[in-house]
Amino acid sequence: MTTVAAMASERKRSIGGNSDAFLGVLLITPIVLVMAALVFFPLIDTMWDSLHRINPMQPGTPFIGLAKYTNMLSDGDVNASWINTLIYVVIAVAVETVAGVAGAALINQVKVGRQWVLAAVILPWALPGVVNATIWLWIYQPGAGLLNGILTAFGLPFENHVWFNDRTSAIAAVVTVHIWRMLPLTIVIVLAAMQSIPNELYEAAKIDGASRTSMFGSITLPLIRSAIAIAMTNGTVAAFNFFDEAWVLAGPSLDTRPILIQIYLEAFQNLHFSYGMALSLVVTIVSLLVSLVYVVRVYRNTRLD
Amino acid sequence: MRGLFLTSVAFAALALAVPALADDAKPLAGKSITVLLPSPQGATIAADFEKDTGIHVDLQTLSWDDIRPKLVTALLAGTAPADVTEFDWSWTGQFNAAGWYLPLQDVIDKDTVADIGVAKIFTVDGNLLGIPYTNDFRVMLVNKKQFNDAGITTMPTTLDELIADAKQIKAKGIVQYPIGLPLSPTEGASTSWYLLTKAEGGDLFDKDWKPLFTTPDSAGYKAMALELQMLKDGLVDPASTGLKDSQINDTMFAKGLTSIMISGEPGRLGQFADPKQSTVAGQVAAIVVPTASGTTRSYGLPEALGIPKVSQNQDAAIAFVKWFTTKQFQEANYANGVLPTRTSALADLAAAGTLLSGDALVAQSKTVEPLFAQGTPTWYPQFSSAVNTAINAVAKGQITVDVAMKNIADATQKAMTQ
Repeated sequence: MTTVAAMASERKRSIGGNSDAFLGVLLITPIVLVMAALVFFPLIDTMWDSLHRINPMQPGTPFIGLAKYTNMLSDGDVNASWINTLIYVVIAVAVETVAGVAGAALINQVKVGRQWVLAAVILPWALPGVVNATIWLWIYQPGAGLLNGILTAFGLPFENHVWFNDRTSAIAAVVTVHIWRMLPLTIVIVLAAMQSIPNELYEAAKIDGASRTSMFGSITLPLIRSAIAIAMTNGTVAAFNFFDEAWVLAGPSLDTRPILIQIYLEAFQNLHFSYGMALSLVVTIVSLLVSLVYVVRVYRNTRLD
Repeated sequence: MRGLFLTSVAFAALALAVPALADDAKPLAGKSITVLLPSPQGATIAADFEKDTGIHVDLQTLSWDDIRPKLVTALLAGTAPADVTEFDWSWTGQFNAAGWYLPLQDVIDKDTVADIGVAKIFTVDGNLLGIPYTNDFRVMLVNKKQFNDAGITTMPTTLDELIADAKQIKAKGIVQYPIGLPLSPTEGASTSWYLLTKAEGGDLFDKDWKPLFTTPDSAGYKAMALELQMLKDGLVDPASTGLKDSQINDTMFAKGLTSIMISGEPGRLGQFADPKQSTVAGQVAAIVVPTASGTTRSYGLPEALGIPKVSQNQDAAIAFVKWFTTKQFQEANYANGVLPTRTSALADLAAAGTLLSGDALVAQSKTVEPLFAQGTPTWYPQFSSAVNTAINAVAKGQITVDVAMKNIADATQKAMTQ
């Protein structure tokens, strides 16, 4: 009798399990199809094409293996662009994270009209990159630019200073604009996490005599780690995909050229499409690998077991 | 009764014949084409063409820099970006190698081609890939009032005179930076160096594509050294390292902040003469390019109309190209700042006195050479990019002229082998 009951129960579970599995498959099918059509197929197609010579100026598309990938290693312009990109990633992610957490902590203290403060802060992120860059281009103008005007007003010798004539200041000028645009998003992500921390934790800590600094270090930071990791992932991918601001501010100048501009020049100026594809894939892989570090960290911090 | 019958028959026949005659005059009436050109273009082009031919035109305009990526992506995918498109001289080598454009030598009459001298720049391997519609060649633009204010009454014909005049204008405090010269990593910096290389009496490559600019006594080397010297002497604004040629035109020359545009575009004369667009109206003139020897030289950078091979409306597209390059239209289109490519149209405008600085333009147009005698090479974009990157680095003090020349030669060699 017991055996029969157990078998019936197993059969019911099995029928229910199949039904759930079927529903699950049904629900994910649309997104799988969309991803397959718009992401996976183009990705695989691009990988395959990068192993061929795709150049409209030359007949045929012969298989060339990894030639385009090995060419990258000895390409001075590509190497210079990679160095610029890595500098952008390191500076942008570091500044966006530190300033983003600080900004979120400050806004979190605002009790009245926080939504208005947030609306104002988010504005640079809401504007297109080209618009931001054009505004900053005026700010950096050598003659009538705001920056030189302010510095000159303080008696400093910057009347006709050209910020883009020196590589260090050019990189700083370009990355500042990128940070200006991306910082608000980090603030919003971190602020959302801060606001989800129960107030009781802070009250208990206060009773135990904890200072504001120790509360921030022992309560706030550990509980917003996941949000910081998400913001850092987003910042990293955005910095690897950096194009608009660098193009508007300094064009294809090798001093500030990020890897995406190099890809654009190879593909659309030089018509070396397979080289452009190979470069794009490497950027994607590097960007994903770096982001993976944060994603794994988020997973470890947020899993329930 | 018989007369009435015959009259009725005659009128009936006429009534039937008139539409038929109209159809003969406009055989492509009812067709529709798309045209992609740089902005701005005349506001009535589409309507005027439709009125003359019955062909409807969807005229799309984009900024010049945005056209090429649109063309390349569409053509690579095997689709037509438009039935008629912009076709710049610098694309000739690449687009010919790619086989994207319809050869036009058999559909455009020989008189038209003969009248448009710069058409040869678009001819590769006997194929005429575009019909030039805007006659861009290089002259030098000067602010005569500023020259006069500095006590200079004779325009320079040699490079030494040009530099001396610029120094005098600066010394008299007329303007701080008398010479407008783009030094940014953009096409405008390259084209200025090409012009100065011609002015120094040389060319870029020999017949075997061997660089002619690597030794200190070569014209290209001297041209780059001259650019650096003008910058060091304070004749060129240091901020030019970040300015395109269009910005130097619009923000400096048109506002009277510079007295000389080294690489002047004749088509800009109308803009500079217009008080609504320029604060130097009535002060600007074109002069023939001063050179080291005193014998002027120049080269052409015309833009043409081309028809992609994948266009589905080639007949109507050809009709548009023919209409757009007629002498009558070119003369009328000068009002929109487009300098005619037909020698006869230029001569007519000069004779009528409507061509600003007509004598200088006609004299310079007779000296226009192709930049590359063998035709624009497929690797031109890489070459130009290497040139303007090197100029930019020299101007910023990052490399010497010697290294710059070597970098350009190396980049060119690399591009040739790819």
